[in-house]
Amino acid sequence: MALTGLEIYKLLPQTNCKDCNFPTCLAFAMKLAAKQAELKDCPHVSEEAKEKLESAAAPPIRLVELHGGNGKVQVGNETVLFRHEKTFYNMPGIFWRLGDDESVDELKSKAKRADAYQADYVGIDLKLDGFAIEAKSDPAAFASAIEAVRSVSQKPLILLASTPELAKAGVEACGDTRPLLYYADKDNWQEMAEIAKEAGIPLALRGATLEELAELTKSIQEAGVEDLILDPGLSGHLESLQQLTTLRRLSIKKSFRPLGYPVITFPGRDESSNEMLLAAGHIAKYAGFIVLENVDPSVLYPLLVLRQNIYTDPQKPIQVQPALYEINSPDGDAPLMVTTNFSITYFSVANEVEGSGWPAWLMVADAEGMSVLTAWAAGKFDAERIAKAVKACGAEEKLNHKKLIIPGHVAVLSGELEEELPGWEIMVGPREAVEIAGYLKAMWQK
Amino acid sequence: MSRYIATHAIRGANAIVQEAEELLERTLKEKGPDTAVAFPNTAYYLPFILGMTGTEISKIGELPPILEHAKKLLSPVPTDSRWLPYLGETLDCGMATLFAEEIIMALKFVTGEQPEKLPGLQLAGSTSFTSPDNGGGPNGNGYLNGPIDDIQLRSWGIQLVDGRMPGFAAIVGAAKSNEVAVKIVRELQRRSILTFLIGSSNGKSIIHQLMEEGVELGYDTFTVPFGTDTESAIYPLGFATRSALTFGGMKGGQAKEILRYNKERVFAFVLALGEVDDLKYATAAGAINFGFPVIADTVIPEILPTGVTTYEHVISMPFNEIEGADDLERAEKLVQKCIEIRGVKVTIAEVPVPVPYGSAFEGEVVRRADMRVEFGGKNSRAVEYLFMDEMDNVDDGKIELIGPDFEDVEEGGAIDLGILVKVAGRKMEKDFEPVLERQIHYFINGASGIQHIGQRDIAWIRISKGATEKGFNLKHFGDILHTRFHSDFGSIVDKVEVTIITDPDMHAEWLEKARAAFNERNVRMGAMTDESVDEFYSCTLCQSFAPDHLCVISPERLGLCGAYNWLDCKASKQINPTGPNQPIKKGTEIDAEKGYFQGVNEFVQVASHGAVQEVSMYSIMENPMTACGCFECIAMVIPEANGIMIVSREDSSMTPAGMTFSTLAGVAGGGLQTPGVMGHGKFYISSGKFILPDGGLKRVVWMSSILKEQMAEQLKAIAEREGEPDLLDKIADETICTDVEGVVKHVTEKNHPALSMPPLM
Amino acid sequence: MTVETPKEAWTGTVREVTLGATADQGGTRSRTLTVGAESTLPFLHFEASIPNPPALALEIRDRKPDDWSPLLYEAWGDVMDDPAAWAKAAEEAGADLVYLVLSLTTSDGSPNTVENVRAVVRKVLDATGLPLAVIGAGQAEVDNELLVAAAEEGKGERLLLGLCEEKNYRTIVATAMANEHLVQSRTPMDVNLAKQLVILINDMGMPLERIVMDPTTGALGYGIEYGYSVMERLRLAALQGDKMTQQPMIVTPGEECWKVKEAKVGEGVPETWGDWEPRAIAWEGITAAALLHSGANVVVLRHPENMRRTRSMIDELMSSKAAG
Repeated sequence: MALTGLEIYKLLPQTNCKDCNFPTCLAFAMKLAAKQAELKDCPHVSEEAKEKLESAAAPPIRLVELHGGNGKVQVGNETVLFRHEKTFYNMPGIFWRLGDDESVDELKSKAKRADAYQADYVGIDLKLDGFAIEAKSDPAAFASAIEAVRSVSQKPLILLASTPELAKAGVEACGDTRPLLYYADKDNWQEMAEIAKEAGIPLALRGATLEELAELTKSIQEAGVEDLILDPGLSGHLESLQQLTTLRRLSIKKSFRPLGYPVITFPGRDESSNEMLLAAGHIAKYAGFIVLENVDPSVLYPLLVLRQNIYTDPQKPIQVQPALYEINSPDGDAPLMVTTNFSITYFSVANEVEGSGWPAWLMVADAEGMSVLTAWAAGKFDAERIAKAVKACGAEEKLNHKKLIIPGHVAVLSGELEEELPGWEIMVGPREAVEIAGYLKAMWQK
Repeated sequence: MSRYIATHAIRGANAIVQEAEELLERTLKEKGPDTAVAFPNTAYYLPFILGMTGTEISKIGELPPILEHAKKLLSPVPTDSRWLPYLGETLDCGMATLFAEEIIMALKFVTGEQPEKLPGLQLAGSTSFTSPDNGGGPNGNGYLNGPIDDIQLRSWGIQLVDGRMPGFAAIVGAAKSNEVAVKIVRELQRRSILTFLIGSSNGKSIIHQLMEEGVELGYDTFTVPFGTDTESAIYPLGFATRSALTFGGMKGGQAKEILRYNKERVFAFVLALGEVDDLKYATAAGAINFGFPVIADTVIPEILPTGVTTYEHVISMPFNEIEGADDLERAEKLVQKCIEIRGVKVTIAEVPVPVPYGSAFEGEVVRRADMRVEFGGKNSRAVEYLFMDEMDNVDDGKIELIGPDFEDVEEGGAIDLGILVKVAGRKMEKDFEPVLERQIHYFINGASGIQHIGQRDIAWIRISKGATEKGFNLKHFGDILHTRFHSDFGSIVDKVEVTIITDPDMHAEWLEKARAAFNERNVRMGAMTDESVDEFYSCTLCQSFAPDHLCVISPERLGLCGAYNWLDCKASKQINPTGPNQPIKKGTEIDAEKGYFQGVNEFVQVASHGAVQEVSMYSIMENPMTACGCFECIAMVIPEANGIMIVSREDSSMTPAGMTFSTLAGVAGGGLQTPGVMGHGKFYISSGKFILPDGGLKRVVWMSSILKEQMAEQLKAIAEREGEPDLLDKIADETICTDVEGVVKHVTEKNHPALSMPPLM
Repeated sequence: MTVETPKEAWTGTVREVTLGATADQGGTRSRTLTVGAESTLPFLHFEASIPNPPALALEIRDRKPDDWSPLLYEAWGDVMDDPAAWAKAAEEAGADLVYLVLSLTTSDGSPNTVENVRAVVRKVLDATGLPLAVIGAGQAEVDNELLVAAAEEGKGERLLLGLCEEKNYRTIVATAMANEHLVQSRTPMDVNLAKQLVILINDMGMPLERIVMDPTTGALGYGIEYGYSVMERLRLAALQGDKMTQQPMIVTPGEECWKVKEAKVGEGVPETWGDWEPRAIAWEGITAAALLHSGANVVVLRHPENMRRTRSMIDELMSSKAAG
């Protein structure tokens, strides 16, 4: 059970020494309760208090990090079953499986292309997280495959090695990066744990049942490896959903530590399911790493967008870059409309205008990602802000007119806006985006 | 129940049942039991019989059991020596009458006597009665309509159900004159009320009257002539029965459900014109079973207690006694009364003013240079006052200007203005007056070229030159208010009358009256306590962005946004019964001081989707109410000073909590219970329940100066009551300090009472 | 070590709703479609019973639409010229429900008419034995006229009529009640609005067993996360016993996705989006998959390939194979 700010405050020194960079102990306690600060920032906290606070604060699912030559991926640390309860924090890492049976040149060219993949989604860069390299023959081939990939990509790696020999060769080839070693099972775990411990890297465990996995995590933890990843050998939609749900519930609702680790999935492992749809399910429901067979952009892009969407903090909506957007190639006579930078608001307006066929300028004002009414109520979409945006976006140079259409919901701003924007005519548009086409038809004369 | 009515109705019922029996015997003999009996173009057999008994009659031979059933419903005519309530008997006789009437009409179809012949009548719109035996053409020319066919039933039924048609009127008898007949029908048509014409009075029927005046009758004009005999009243009641079967999903035989459906959903009434004879009384008793009230334009005893119908059962409105300049005005009033009695809601769509109207104009500013005239502000006084009155004292739609309009005022000048709005409504309550009054601002602002600011006696209105050129005058305020109150608040307001005052004496008089009323309201609201009510209200308006948050609003704790107090919620529930403001039964009181109530906890558990299990109405320390993010103020504990601070939304400075308002908002919002932090409405500070268990106002050690200023009077009064007259001085603000050390210093210096109170933590 | 599978003890059940009527039931459908009745979250068979699989519908139009993606024209071909043929093709493609959306105008641009709608509904009913949904063109006045005609033409068939929205539902509900049909309510991505509209429709006398609710979802990349969470919240509320949220949910990823650039357009888009056809199909398919995971009971699609893929996904998820 999480502690409240007041309960945490009682455990703090209550000296207001400000060493934590907060002005009061209570402010710090409130931030801790909101998980917006870390206990280690308080140098004066007593050992006893630390223990109490840490056990209350320990994440139910362990945070595991992989490092590449440059760039890292972190998964785990989730605290809820449903994103609306708080948010999902760490997106599942999406990796591409490559085999060491391919030629070095081929691997290089594939990895190079995939490494360069970067798609833009409302101003966010979407990328593949790394490569899972599978040892299919001998340690030397494995090592050279890893080296080949590392020579063209700095992204983190997952080493798919079934024997300690292969694992050793792979880990060595990874240099000072922090790959995930996959996998240990009930037969080889001692040797695998040894390798992982020595290299200081995370280790994935494979077990046929959850019981077997729980035993393994316990043993391996005792052997000194803390960062673990689970592979319950999931195949198909049903087993995936049920097992991943069970694991997530065990961690969150039962605080069952032996299985409180992220899960790795291979949606393409079983050919009877559609890899893309299965991966979509893994994104929605609870995977930590997803290793794909097929990363064709036509599949990868929608999956990355889904992951971005599902992992959007419900309290911090996706925002669109405030700017002047052109729709249907507008000229100087085209209407100028303003809306907020809340992505859904923007999309509904932009889609309707685009669908209507009207060339138009759509000015997106910075309303801190809120919808029109919410932003207006919160004072983030007022006459001053809109006027500032109009002046800043360069509309005056691009237009032959001085007419601004504002959303019908903020009709009340029209008077103030005319004062803020002398010489401009403020037109009140419709309340709902679907009415835009009709409005323009009725009201806009070139 | 009036014995007089009971006597007549029961006598009428006995007579008509006997008549039905004779006719049935005769027809059985002549035609034989296997002869088909049916109304044309309906799949509902004889609909009233089907609905009430579940029997599907298709042959004459199936009718005798129905007649027997009707006979069982009859009672003997009351004698002079007996005095009983009679209601049950009378209603049962009404049902018997309707059975008898349907049997009679069905048999008359067999013999070709129905639909009734009426030479010269040409129906507008095709009735589906097309029996060639009756000699009529495809339009049944020369015949009255007879029962409504299923196709028309569906078409009108949908409109009655979806609200496009407010209801139907069954007019029985004949009006005082042809002129009055026409006026009544026009008034009904104007409101899209479906009008059914039935029966005669002194040998004349309203159908004759309308024909003589050349009024088109038929489906196309929503005016259907059924018959000149009273028995044809069974046609509209059969229509009502079929509506329930068609739209209510009921089955034949579900008599109770069908009658209740009509009472609750079909807004119909009977208007009896002229003498009321026994059969009319008996038929009216039948109609009352459907919840349809009867209004007569002659002297008859009234049955006022409500129950079977929604409001009065029988109302007498002797035509010549209706107030009015002439018969036409009387007719208009009669129709108005009918509508009130049945609770038919009429909506007016367009605001009749010469300038564009709509929410798009709400924010318009009328600058001094564009201004034709202003009311209120620096140079004159404007007052707005809305109050309720008895139904009969409010003349709906009346808009009166007392004093001159503004033509003679110089350009850019100012005069005093009073806007009085008198409303009446069956669901109107005194407490809704301020809620409605505040709407005046929004309603008037919707007119293009008009600017409205403020309310009550600080209202300030400007009319632009542009609006004046388009013909806008003072009476238009009345038009706007009349229309908008009906369209937006029709669920609580039935009548709206507006008086605009510019006459100086009248203005002074009403200003005085209004101020007295405002004062009284303030006192009343101030005197309302949480103990004085059984119900609080929820507000889940903000769940769209704070999904698990709800405000629990009580008389002494308004919503945290400051926009909704308990009365607003109560009115909002009337207006939008399924909306975000729902009553919460307090239930068992668990802890009066902290404000724990069984009912509130149960409601909150469900409405917060399990996120909140318990809520204290008044404490900041223990299970405080959650917040969405719209709060006017945030209170937070300052443990070092053993007190709390309150920061206002308008205050952007640093606070002793080490966080500004906007940072604190992140801690307090989101629908999570955060002991020690609480969002609340400004006026909660002056409530008697303000952090009651934590020590009340005396706990406040720091407060944004703007709050101190805005609420100076109220806070001072509380301070005095608490025996700490200098409390406000002892409370620090951002001009004194913005850190904990400063607060501690200040309260120590001033010997703030919080220091000697029990520890908060 | 034993690991117990945590199970929630839900108190509520999603309402069971049946679309379509066979001859015995007063209609002419060769089969009916029953959805809902589950007492747990999607596909968690180990927790409680899920008697009915989510259903898949294919959207067809009363005439060939003017503005669909070329990929859809390609996928359906000539049948789009004839709603009866299209309905038949949808049935052959594996749909459980034909989702007929009316157009504002006929193909020559003149306003759609009551007569035309009657004829189309008749033709479609004759061409397929599947249950049918008839959805308005989206303009209140037109819809109220056209849907009344459709409802009468299909009397007794237990059609699904829509869309009932807060501003316009009364006429549709009235005609649905009069002609023994069901209705689809649609509200804009908000739990309380969804619930409120169900209450209002129910208040008119429409039984809850005849209301399917559409919470609006948004397409992948265009707000799906809102719809997704609203659906999860509605379903959790339903399972927690909130009666007015227990309607089965219908979602329209076909409509949502095929209007967005990622699906609709082949040219002038970033190379990183990949090849048009597979990406477009993926867009609709992934959206549908995500919505199934958040509780959809009826999924309305446009592309036949997604009918195949989604069907196979549902078959797997409904197979009796238990979790370990």
